Amino acid sequence: MSGAAPAFAPTADAGALASSSRPESLWADAWKRLRRNRAAVCSGIFLLALGLLAVSAPWLPGLANPTAQDLRLGATPPSSAHWFGTDELGRDTLARVIHGGRISLLVGLVGTLVSLVIGVSYGAVAGYRGGRTDEMMMRAVDVLYSLPYIFLVILLLVFFSRSILMLFVALGLVQWLTMARIVRGQVLSLKQQNFVEAARALGAGDGAIIFRHIVPNTLGPVIVYTTLTVPAVILQEAFLSFLGLGVQPPAASWGTLVSDGARLLALFPWLVIFPGLALSLTLFCFNFLGDGLRDALDPQDRREVS
Amino acid sequence: MAAFVLRRVLLMIPTLWVIATLTFFLMRLAPGGPFLAEKDIPPAAKAQLEKAYGLDRPLGQQYLSFLTHAARLDFGPSYKFPARQVREIIFEAFPVSLELGLWALLFATLIGVPIGVIAAVKQNSGADFAAMAAALAGVSIPNFVLGPALVLGLSLTLFLFPPALWEGPQSRILPVLTLSTAYVAYIARLTRGGMLEVLRQDYIRTARAKGLPERKVVFKHALKLGILPVVSYLGPAMARIVMGSIVVETLFAIPGLGRHLVNGAFNRDYTLVLGVVLFYAAFLMTLNLVVDIAYTRLDPRVELS
Amino acid sequence: MQRIALVLLATLALACAPHASAVRQTSSTGPRYFGDVTPPVGNVLTFTNGAEPERIDPGVISGQPDGRVARAIFEGLTTPDPRTMEPQPGLAYRWEISADGRTYTFHLRPGLVWSDGSALTAQDFLWSWRRVLAPETASRSAGLLFPIDHAQAFNEGKLENGMQLGLAAPDDSTFVVRLAAPTSYFLFLTQYYTFLPVPRRVIEKYGARWTNPGNIVSNGPFLLDKWRQGDRFEFVRNPRYWDAQSVKLDRVVALSVDDINTCTNLYKAGVADWNTSGNIPSQFIPYMRDFADFRAEPYQGVYFYSINLTRKPFDNPWVRRALAYAVDRETICRDLLKGARDPWGDLAPYGYPGYVNPPGQTFDPARARACLARAGYPQGRGFPRFAILFNTSEDHRRIAEAVQAMWKNVLGIDVTLANEEWGSYLQDATALHYDIARRSWIGDYLDPNSFLACFRTGDGNNRTGFADARYDAMLDRAATELDPGRRMAILAQAETFLLDQAPVIPIYRYRTSELVKPYVRGLYPTPLDTHPLKGVWIDHDWNRAPAVARR
Repeated sequence: MSGAAPAFAPTADAGALASSSRPESLWADAWKRLRRNRAAVCSGIFLLALGLLAVSAPWLPGLANPTAQDLRLGATPPSSAHWFGTDELGRDTLARVIHGGRISLLVGLVGTLVSLVIGVSYGAVAGYRGGRTDEMMMRAVDVLYSLPYIFLVILLLVFFSRSILMLFVALGLVQWLTMARIVRGQVLSLKQQNFVEAARALGAGDGAIIFRHIVPNTLGPVIVYTTLTVPAVILQEAFLSFLGLGVQPPAASWGTLVSDGARLLALFPWLVIFPGLALSLTLFCFNFLGDGLRDALDPQDRREVS
Repeated sequence: MAAFVLRRVLLMIPTLWVIATLTFFLMRLAPGGPFLAEKDIPPAAKAQLEKAYGLDRPLGQQYLSFLTHAARLDFGPSYKFPARQVREIIFEAFPVSLELGLWALLFATLIGVPIGVIAAVKQNSGADFAAMAAALAGVSIPNFVLGPALVLGLSLTLFLFPPALWEGPQSRILPVLTLSTAYVAYIARLTRGGMLEVLRQDYIRTARAKGLPERKVVFKHALKLGILPVVSYLGPAMARIVMGSIVVETLFAIPGLGRHLVNGAFNRDYTLVLGVVLFYAAFLMTLNLVVDIAYTRLDPRVELS
Repeated sequence: MQRIALVLLATLALACAPHASAVRQTSSTGPRYFGDVTPPVGNVLTFTNGAEPERIDPGVISGQPDGRVARAIFEGLTTPDPRTMEPQPGLAYRWEISADGRTYTFHLRPGLVWSDGSALTAQDFLWSWRRVLAPETASRSAGLLFPIDHAQAFNEGKLENGMQLGLAAPDDSTFVVRLAAPTSYFLFLTQYYTFLPVPRRVIEKYGARWTNPGNIVSNGPFLLDKWRQGDRFEFVRNPRYWDAQSVKLDRVVALSVDDINTCTNLYKAGVADWNTSGNIPSQFIPYMRDFADFRAEPYQGVYFYSINLTRKPFDNPWVRRALAYAVDRETICRDLLKGARDPWGDLAPYGYPGYVNPPGQTFDPARARACLARAGYPQGRGFPRFAILFNTSEDHRRIAEAVQAMWKNVLGIDVTLANEEWGSYLQDATALHYDIARRSWIGDYLDPNSFLACFRTGDGNNRTGFADARYDAMLDRAATELDPGRRMAILAQAETFLLDQAPVIPIYRYRTSELVKPYVRGLYPTPLDTHPLKGVWIDHDWNRAPAVARR
C-alpha cells in the first residue's frame, strides 16, 4: 500500500519568519526541534547503524556467505553456532538477515531515488509552467492513479524481466505520482515569491529557475516524503516476493525471507521472527523518523515554540 | 452541484479510454499467451483456439472490437475459464471484496480515529508516542506474516475461527483483522495531523476561551473538520483495498477481485484483466467523486470547483 | 494497541502449541490424528481440489483438479477399481476383444439415461470420441485416442479417401472400436476422463457455456449443483444414475484452494475431510508421519529436469551425462525433502506389472567430471553460464538451489536460476526458450509407454528437442509386439537408451502425500491418484467400531 498523501501546510510564509524573536534559518530551527523528538533520534541512530552493518556485511567474519548450504543440517533453532538458527537448506539465518538487509535497503533507497527524480522533475515542471501544460500533466497523473498499481508492477516484471534493475524501476514508477503532486503544490505557491521574480529579472532561464531556485525550497516536504517512501518501497518489494516476483534466488531480501518463513511459522518460527523483526523495526524507524521530520519542518508549529 | 457531477462523469470517459488502451497494449506485449498447459496442444488445435478468440486478427482490429464491446459492458468470456463471462466473474467477486474492504476500513476507522485523536490532544507526550507506535506496528508487520500468525494462534490452536474461506460470520474476522492493520496506521496518522491543524485554529481558541469543556471542544467542534483528511483518504483507500487485498484473499482463499486480477495477469487472461482494470478505474473515480461531494458537506469552506 | 495484543496472543499461542498436534476430539488410545476429527453433519464430503479447473468439459481438460470434477459427474465405458485402478464395468457391462487384439466391442447396459431423462446410447460415445479428435475442438488430450485406427490422421485433418475413423455404433447399445495396432492398455484408457461421453444436444445448444450449472447435463453418480469462481464446486447425488443406490454421499464439495498451507489448515480445522495429494507443504511431511490419517503411497509420477538439446552445449551428450551424474538425488530427497519423495534415476516409475526398470542415472561425481572433460570442458573451464527454469514454487526453488550448488561443487560450472510464473514458464518450456527446465510427468495410464512415448521425435510433450530415430524405432517395435513380456523388454531397452542419452535428468518419484479423515470410508490410496467418489461414505460411528487396517 503506498503511503498516504500527507497533509502539508503551505511553505514558510515570510511573515512568520520575520516575527520570530531570533532570526534563525529554517534548517537550524528544524534540526533543533528534531533533536528534541527522542523517538525520531533513536530511529535515526538505528538506521545509521543498520546502514553501516549492511554496507560492511561482505567483510564481516563468519557472516560473509549467506548462500552456503548444509543439507544434512537442515533447519535448526537458534544456537551458539547459529545465533538466528538455520533454514531448510542449512543456511545461516543471521547471515541471510544481514545480507537481506543490504538488498532491502538498496531496493528501498534506489526505488525511492527513482521516484524522487521522476516525481520532483515532473511536479516542478508542471507547477512552474502552469496553465494548459500543468492541467494536462496532472490529468495524466490522475489517469495513472486510477490504474491498480500492483497490476502495473506485475506486468512490468512479467513483461520485462526479473532483473533487480527492473525491480527498481518498477517500484520507483509506482511511488512518483504522490511526489509529483506534492512538489507541484509547493511549486505553485512558491513561484509567486519574490526571489523567483528576482531571478527572472536577472535573466535566468526557466530550467535554471526551476531546478536551482524553486526545487531547493521544496526540500522540506520532499525530504519528509522521501523518508516515508523508503519503507513503502521495502514493503512493496516484500509483497512482490510473496507473489514470487521480487528479488530472485539465491539473493534474498527481507521480503523473501519473511514471506517464505511465514509459511513455515508452525514448524520453524525463527525463520520468520528474526527477519520479521529486522524488517518491522526498520520500517518502524523510517516512519518515526519521517513523522519526526515532518513535525520538525512544519512551520505552523514554529510559532508555538519560538 | 448537478453540473459538477455531470462534468465529472463525462470526464471519466476519456480517462477510461486511455486506461483501456494502455492496458490492452500492455497485455498484448507481455510474453506468453493464454492457451498453454502442461499437456501440449497440437498446432492445428492452437490455431483453432486463436481463431475462436479472434487472436489471429490484426492487433488494430482486435483493439477496435474490444472497445466496442467494452462500451456495452461486454468483456467476453475469460480466456482461462471459457465457460464464464468476465462480467459474471466480476459481479460475483466484487461484492466479496467490497464486503471485506468495508469491514476492514470500518474497523480501521473505529480504531484509528480515536488513536489519532488521543495522539493529537496529548501531542508529544508519552500517550502520543505510544498511540502512534502501536498504529505504526500495524503497518510494519506485513499482512503475510500477520495472517498466518493469526490463523495459527486463533484458528488452529484455539479453534475460534475458521482458517480460510468466506462462509459464515466467523470467517470474516481473521481476514478483516489482517487487512485492516495497515490502514489503522494511516488513518491514525491522518487524524492526528488533521486534528493538530484544526486545534490550532482561532475558533477553537475562541471555544476554549468561552469555557467549553475540552471534551466538547474536541469532539463537537474539532473532530468534524479534523477528520477531513481521513475522509478524503477513505475514498481512494476503499478502491485500493478492494484490489490490494490480494495477500489476504490468497491466504484465506477468499474469492475476491484482487485475486482474479493477479491470477489473470499471471495467466495472460487478457479479457479478465481488461475487464477488472476498467471496472476498478471506474469504481475509483466514482469513489473520488463521492468523496469530493462528502467533503463539501463536512467543510463549508470548501467549494466545488 | 489492539494489534500488538493480537500479535502477542498469537505468539503466545504459538509458543504453547507443539508442532502441528492439536487434536480436538481425542480418540481414546491408539492412533493420533491431525486436527479436528468431528465428522460433518450428514453425508457430505468436503475436499481440497487444488488450483481451480479452467474447464470441466471432460473431452478437452487435462489436470488432476479438472479430472476430479469431471469424474464426479460423468462416467464412461469402464470405471477404475477404487484400489487397483483396474478397469471395471461402468456404462458397459461387458466387452469382447478380438483375437488380433485390435477390435473391442462394448455392450452398454440397458436403460441408461442422461440427467435430463433422455436416453444415453452408443451414438453418444461415437459422437463424443469423434468430438475429442475433431481438430476444431482443440482438445489437449486428443493424443490419448491415437491408438484408434486413423485417429491421428483425423485429428490432423489428413483423413484421405478410404480411410475411416475406427469407431462404430451398429445399434444403440453396442459400441465398436478398431485400433491401429494391439494396445494392451487400451481398456485402461477407457476410464480416463477424455473418453467420457458428453451430451450432444446441450453442447450444440450452449457452446462453451454448456458446463455451467443450469445448462449442464451429465450421467455420473453426481450432478453439478453450484460452481463459484475461485471458491468451490458443489455436487449432489444423481437420481438417474444407473447405479444410484450404491452412491452413499448426498453432497460433495470440492474447494478450489491453491495455497497448500491453506489446504492443510482447512483440513486441520476440520473444514475439509480430505486434503488431496500434493497439498501439504513438504516441510511438514516428516512430522505428518506420526499421524494415522496421513498417507504416503508411491504413485506414477516423476519429477525431472528437462534439457534443451537445441541449445549449445547441450547438444553434446557428454555434457548432458556430466550434468546427470552430478546430481545427488539421495541428498535432495533425504535432507532437503525430508524423505517426502523417493530419489529416482529412471523415467518410468516402478510398479508396472511385468516391467523391470533399467538401472537408471546415479550420482557419480568422478564420472561426471570425466564426462565433462570428454566434452571439452575440463574442470568446467569455458563452460557457458546457463539457467535453470522453474515455475514459482518454494519446492522447485529449493531443489533448483540445491542442484545449482551441486553443479558448482562437482563440475565447477556456474548456474543461475530463472523463476517464472506458470504462464511464462509454460510458454518458454514449450517453445524451447530455456536451458534446463524443471518438469513433472504423471502417468495417464498404468504402462511405461505413458512416459516413454513423450520423447518420440516431434511429440507435443517432448519439449527437449530430443529426436532420435533409433528411439522411435524401438517404441514402434514395442507398439506392434503382441507378447507382453517381450514388449516390456523392448520398452526397457528404449528407456535405457533414453537415460543414457540423457535429455532428461530424473530426480524423484512422487509419493502421494494426502490426508484423509478417519471417518471417510471407501477412499483408498491408488497408483494414479484417482479416486472414484461413488463408493465413498461418511462413517459417523467411526471411533466406536474397532480400528480396521485399511491398507
